[in-house]
Amino acid sequence: MNAIASLVVFASCLLATGAQAASPLKLWHAYRGAEEQALEKSTKLFERETGRAVELLALPYDAFAAKLIAAIPHGVGPDVFIFAHERVRQFARMGIVDPVDGAIDRRAYFPNTVDALVVDGKMYGYPLSLKCIALYVNSRLVSRIPETTDEWRAMLARMSSPKENRFGLAYESGDFYFHAPFLFGFKGALFDESGRAIFDTPEMAVSLAFVKRLQDERLIPEEASGALVKTLFNDGRAAMVISGPWFSGEIAKSVPFAVFPLPRVSETGLPMRPFLGVEAALVSARSTDREAARKLAKFLSTGEASVVRAVSAGHVPADRAAYDHRAVREDKLVAAFRRAAENALPMPNTLEMARVWEPMKLALQGALKGGVPPSGAGALADRRYRALYRPKPERASGVPYVVLAGLAAALGLYRARREVLSPELFSKRYPDAARAARYVAPAAAGIFVLVFIPFVYGAGLSFFHHDSGLYTFVGLGNFVDILASRGYRINEPLSFYFTLAVTMLWTAANVVLHVVIGLSLALILRDPLLKLKGFYRVVLIVPWAVPNYITALIWKGMFHRQFGAVNGLLQALHLEPISWFTQFSTAFAANLVTNTWLGFPFMMVVCLGALQSIPAELYEAAEVDGATSWQKFRNITLPLLRPTLLPAVILGSVWTFNMFNIIYLVSGGEPGGATDILVSESYRWAFQRNEQYGFAAAYSVLIFLVLLTWSSFTKRLTRGAQDASS
Amino acid sequence: MSAVSLKGVRKTFDGHAVIKNVDLEAQPGEFLVMVGPSGCGKTTLLRLIAGLETADAGSIAIGGREVSALPPRDRDVAMVFQSYALYPHMSVRENLAFGLRLRKFPKADIAERVSAAAELLELSPLLDRRPKALSGGQRQRVAMGRAIVRQPRVFLFDEPLSNLDTALRVQMRGELARLHRRLGATMIYVTHDQVEAMTLANRVAVFNQGEMQQVGPPLELYHRPANRFVACFLGSPSMNILPVRREGAVLRGQGFSVPVPEDLGDASSDRLLVGVRPQELLICRDGMMSGEVEAIERLGFDGYAFLSTPAGKVAARFSRDASVCVGDKVGAEPVGDAMHVFLEDGRALRHPRLSSH
Repeated sequence: MNAIASLVVFASCLLATGAQAASPLKLWHAYRGAEEQALEKSTKLFERETGRAVELLALPYDAFAAKLIAAIPHGVGPDVFIFAHERVRQFARMGIVDPVDGAIDRRAYFPNTVDALVVDGKMYGYPLSLKCIALYVNSRLVSRIPETTDEWRAMLARMSSPKENRFGLAYESGDFYFHAPFLFGFKGALFDESGRAIFDTPEMAVSLAFVKRLQDERLIPEEASGALVKTLFNDGRAAMVISGPWFSGEIAKSVPFAVFPLPRVSETGLPMRPFLGVEAALVSARSTDREAARKLAKFLSTGEASVVRAVSAGHVPADRAAYDHRAVREDKLVAAFRRAAENALPMPNTLEMARVWEPMKLALQGALKGGVPPSGAGALADRRYRALYRPKPERASGVPYVVLAGLAAALGLYRARREVLSPELFSKRYPDAARAARYVAPAAAGIFVLVFIPFVYGAGLSFFHHDSGLYTFVGLGNFVDILASRGYRINEPLSFYFTLAVTMLWTAANVVLHVVIGLSLALILRDPLLKLKGFYRVVLIVPWAVPNYITALIWKGMFHRQFGAVNGLLQALHLEPISWFTQFSTAFAANLVTNTWLGFPFMMVVCLGALQSIPAELYEAAEVDGATSWQKFRNITLPLLRPTLLPAVILGSVWTFNMFNIIYLVSGGEPGGATDILVSESYRWAFQRNEQYGFAAAYSVLIFLVLLTWSSFTKRLTRGAQDASS
Repeated sequence: MSAVSLKGVRKTFDGHAVIKNVDLEAQPGEFLVMVGPSGCGKTTLLRLIAGLETADAGSIAIGGREVSALPPRDRDVAMVFQSYALYPHMSVRENLAFGLRLRKFPKADIAERVSAAAELLELSPLLDRRPKALSGGQRQRVAMGRAIVRQPRVFLFDEPLSNLDTALRVQMRGELARLHRRLGATMIYVTHDQVEAMTLANRVAVFNQGEMQQVGPPLELYHRPANRFVACFLGSPSMNILPVRREGAVLRGQGFSVPVPEDLGDASSDRLLVGVRPQELLICRDGMMSGEVEAIERLGFDGYAFLSTPAGKVAARFSRDASVCVGDKVGAEPVGDAMHVFLEDGRALRHPRLSSH
């Protein structure tokens, strides 16, 4: 009795400590490089001090918000996550974060960082650091710091040399986050009095014209991505860069640099005002150990953790106490960014702010690449904004749908009444049904869970409208919106019909090219006189074997306007380099080339196999009958290939119809969403346009219906072909 | 002018000489059968004539025209393949018309020729079917029809009946003979079946290991084979070959002796081979040879007994009245003059005189 009691006590102690030790706090973030390392160091400090383990998870920035919104309400998210302040309002409204008043000392932090995290008077997170962009200069190349934009332009002109591919300034000109300082420097505003986003303003046009002029005068590079900017600065081919604190970790050791606030705009006398971002550690409202989570968040935002982040990652700490440390006080980078932050404008944490990005991307692209005059770009953004954020469809009553579903079920039951009412008939017709079911059960279960349930869920989702966690039933409202092309004309890129046409053109062009190239190569490889057949076969399979996102990124790089291999080749041939992603035809061609490179090996292999199954005797008989090579091809090869080619073509067409990777990675839907196909458009509705899940689900259902129609049509074709062959 | 003329033709595959110097001529309107065991090169020779292979040496002429360098399409030949090689995706009518369509014949001509061939081969009700819906014999006829519509100078047949069952084979043999009489065309026919050779051919050419052994009318080859190989190839069961020694006026073998035939003449050697066909060796109680019956084949009208004798295995015939069982000790006696004599290297020395030709 004693033994059992002590065993129980021992076991429960084990369980208790196990429970204590077994659940590390989960911390999600979107850092890379030096920032990630600094975070890891800080969490290690926490672990050492409190004995509580912390599990870090790095996520890509694009999908971070969507993941949080999806995971936390279901209780499977992190305990603490690090996010920029601008979504705090939305998170608060969705119940993803809770106020931390009572567990925080507001005075410990700088006031504007506190303000950034306050929603309706309550504070929702622990400020970690300030972020804003500033001017990096290569100290070796730049001796004086420009105070005004006129000075700046003069300096840039001296430092740029288009022949040597050297630029005075490099920055991600296509991203609104980097363009905002220009807009605000020219006295522009993003929101009107009611708080709604406005784009079509004269100041917007002037700011766009300014940047366009910099680009036209070859003072800044075109199509600058983050990677390009980094490379140019590290190679010494860009004397100045506009970027944020994270950039310091990406600069090569050999490049001496210093950081300064952005210059003043000569025309208005106002300083260029970047957005001020506050990064905060936010505590999940569904954390199982709220107290420990808050402790972690607070730890990260103050004290040693704050110093670590400042010193290693160049973060500008938001807590005042950090500046008592000499390391922080004397850190030039931190000081420089703090100075730059004085002019910074806190990014509004309203929902409207999140809606600004996509329309502005369109405007910047149009003005800088697409030949849209700066005065028209604002209007372009406005239209896109209006189209994306349509008023939500009216709430619909579920009654007619339930009635309809009931009728359908009744009809189904009526039709199956024989089997339902007389089970003996069923078992007589299918005597082995029970045994067969056992064999099929595992696969059926897998398919049910992985295919059927998500499908039904998605189809059901299409009847709802989603807005910040609220689902409203709208019946067929989404479908009506899509099919009636409400909010935009039919021939605009956002229209379902436009995208459908592009998708069909995309599919047809690809399949034709794949089959023609694959078949030609298969015919060449079949020639008995060809040497090194094995070698060719392996080499020609390689495009298919390489993961297609790698291929897509390589090709995208090759189509770059200034630094791409394709334009380099054109220039070597004394042809005009093409700006691939500014026109529909060339962007489409770029996608097409990439996908053809990826797709022809499949057709080649299929054709090779099919060719080998044609008996050689038929060709001999045809030769004796009098056929030339072309006649043999047309009358024997092609008809006998049909039964094999047809399924391959059907498969290939369905795959190509939904080929998300290439479209998303190569052209990115440019220009202005014109090369988006249905599936990538649907993705954007779901994940890039404020989580309009219901709308995106409706899109998916429509895609499914289109492909279903196509399959039934092709089934008839296959049956016809089967009848025609042996 | 011969229809087909082969002179000094040689062909080697992978270092292996498949055809070793063949000279052969086919006369216009003749049914020439090339026969021999597997691997003797007869099919290769046919394909050389067709143009599906090129000879390494020698010349091939069709209708007096040198064709060695011409592709099959220009040689004015038509070929019937062993596995028919019908186009599976075309109907019978389209199969028949294919060659003509390729050569851009006028539609009316095509239709006429197709229906004529179909009628000749009794294919008319089948014209719209696909090959997979036809029986073996029907497919064979379509393959022949495809050749017929072309009206070529020479027909080439590559073992066309080997995929058919026996009854059908007999029937098709008759039809082929009838076809030949009707069309009067030159036909070169390859087979390994000596019955087909004997029954269909105007002339038979026997091949062995790439060399032609003998060519001539079937009965000539049967009664007067030029060498041991031809003697054993034609006729079933094959001729009994027994080694003997010439001793004065007698040819002495193991356990038997026969008088030397008058017309034997001087041979270079005393060691010779005697050949007697089983059809001319009758089972009796006592005879020239004796032995024990090892196996029996009763064929209804008569039968063959396979004896084990001191001279080796011997096949002999018995009529249906005779009661012969396995294990019996019997004798065998040739009927009349039935002795062929060969040199040891196989060359024929003497053949029995025939009572009537």
